[in-house]
Amino acid sequence: MTTLLELKEYIKRFYSKYEVYVTPALKTIMALVMLMMINGSLGFMSRLNNFALVLIVALMCSFLPTGFMIVFGALYILGHMYALAMEAAIVVGCVFLILLLLYFSFSPKDALVVVLLPICFVLKIPYIIPIAVGLLLTPASIASVACGTVVYFIVHVVKESSTSIGSMEAAEIMARIRLVIDNLLNNKEMVVTIVAFSVTVIVVYIIRRLAIVKAWTIAAIAGGIVNAVVLLVGDLAADIDISIIGVILGTIVSVLLAKVVEFFAFNLDYSRTEKVQFEDDEYYYYVKAVPKITVSTPARTVKRINTRHSSGRGGSSRQRVQDYYPEEENYDYFGENEVEDYTDSDPR
Amino acid sequence: MVNEERVILMTRMASYEAGEGKKNIKIGDYFRADYLSKQLLKSLIFSTISFVIGLVLYVLYNFDFLLENVYKIDLLALGKKMLTGYIVLVVVYGLITYIVYAFRYRNARKNLKTYYGNLKKLSSMYSEGR
Repeated sequence: MTTLLELKEYIKRFYSKYEVYVTPALKTIMALVMLMMINGSLGFMSRLNNFALVLIVALMCSFLPTGFMIVFGALYILGHMYALAMEAAIVVGCVFLILLLLYFSFSPKDALVVVLLPICFVLKIPYIIPIAVGLLLTPASIASVACGTVVYFIVHVVKESSTSIGSMEAAEIMARIRLVIDNLLNNKEMVVTIVAFSVTVIVVYIIRRLAIVKAWTIAAIAGGIVNAVVLLVGDLAADIDISIIGVILGTIVSVLLAKVVEFFAFNLDYSRTEKVQFEDDEYYYYVKAVPKITVSTPARTVKRINTRHSSGRGGSSRQRVQDYYPEEENYDYFGENEVEDYTDSDPR
Repeated sequence: MVNEERVILMTRMASYEAGEGKKNIKIGDYFRADYLSKQLLKSLIFSTISFVIGLVLYVLYNFDFLLENVYKIDLLALGKKMLTGYIVLVVVYGLITYIVYAFRYRNARKNLKTYYGNLKKLSSMYSEGR
């Protein structure tokens, strides 16, 4: 257990030191994964499938704001749709516009959710996203969860019906449009999923805000159960075919992943070096604030041997402060281990 | 002379302004009525645009049917249906917007309480320092 805590501290320190490099790298990787999945699922326009282009776009995403990942993803999807059938591109484009408006009004900063959700759908672990959103964000982010779900189902639906769309003659514009819209609107699975995810987000959010012990864990488990129940009820009510085993397995995996999320996200208020500038009437101030990091390095095992050699300081089994607070193992409370030379103990 | 206490307070406030506080200050600068009306106006525009797009899709979907039967359609009834649909959309969207943004405004104001308190403390530091 302590090794996990140390690992967490190490990761926190590493992230706060190298955040400038880590964040763009992560954004590039995520954009790469997203684009490759889009190419893998659709892949109708060979020009977009060119890996060099994918790499360039992914690298661009590293320094652009996160919202641009959605823009590029949408453009890629629309490009593939256009290569398949112009009508598909029109319909999907209109749906994207409506989603954009919905997304922009409520949770414009949650670009990550919209990108991650389709990826998680493909990886068969979609249920982690609503639970994580409920744990980390607010119910307003239901908008981005809904957007991500719709995006996935659109791509999925078009991929499934791509053969029938492609086989229709190019002149039958209206018929093709109708086919695409039909497949979208009648996709009850999508509606049930959106409802299930929205309810999950709300439930998880409410429970995690309660002032009880282990609120996050209870919230995650409750969220998983609620999600599974709503999905199965919807399965019965709307008469669609959701694999029950898939739901149960997916839920269990998602709850475990949620525990991982909780481990890393809880108390993620790492302090970092900040540079601020301000002025008053007399001076300009350029201030650099460096946080004091309470480092809990591996606790040196101190063997306590209860013998008479304890230099008469009041009993051999004297409890030390460090026994109660093992993280403070290295803090010399009573000057027991003072050294004359301080060159080693300067943390900076 | 540089007053250390003042500098520490100002540093913390500046880092709040640059980070977490940026969003809150932007919201908190509005009066509640102004902020909510601005958001409601935005929601009105967005829902109108979405309705128009939805209408376009609907027309495209039923294009053949409409072309054949355009002379038979009861335009008044159709128009009324469209209007009620539009009003329902606007009202529902506006309600959700109102709730979400009223919530956000309240939270922003609550978060800003300490910040405003610090501002007062700072200004008293300046006035007593003189």
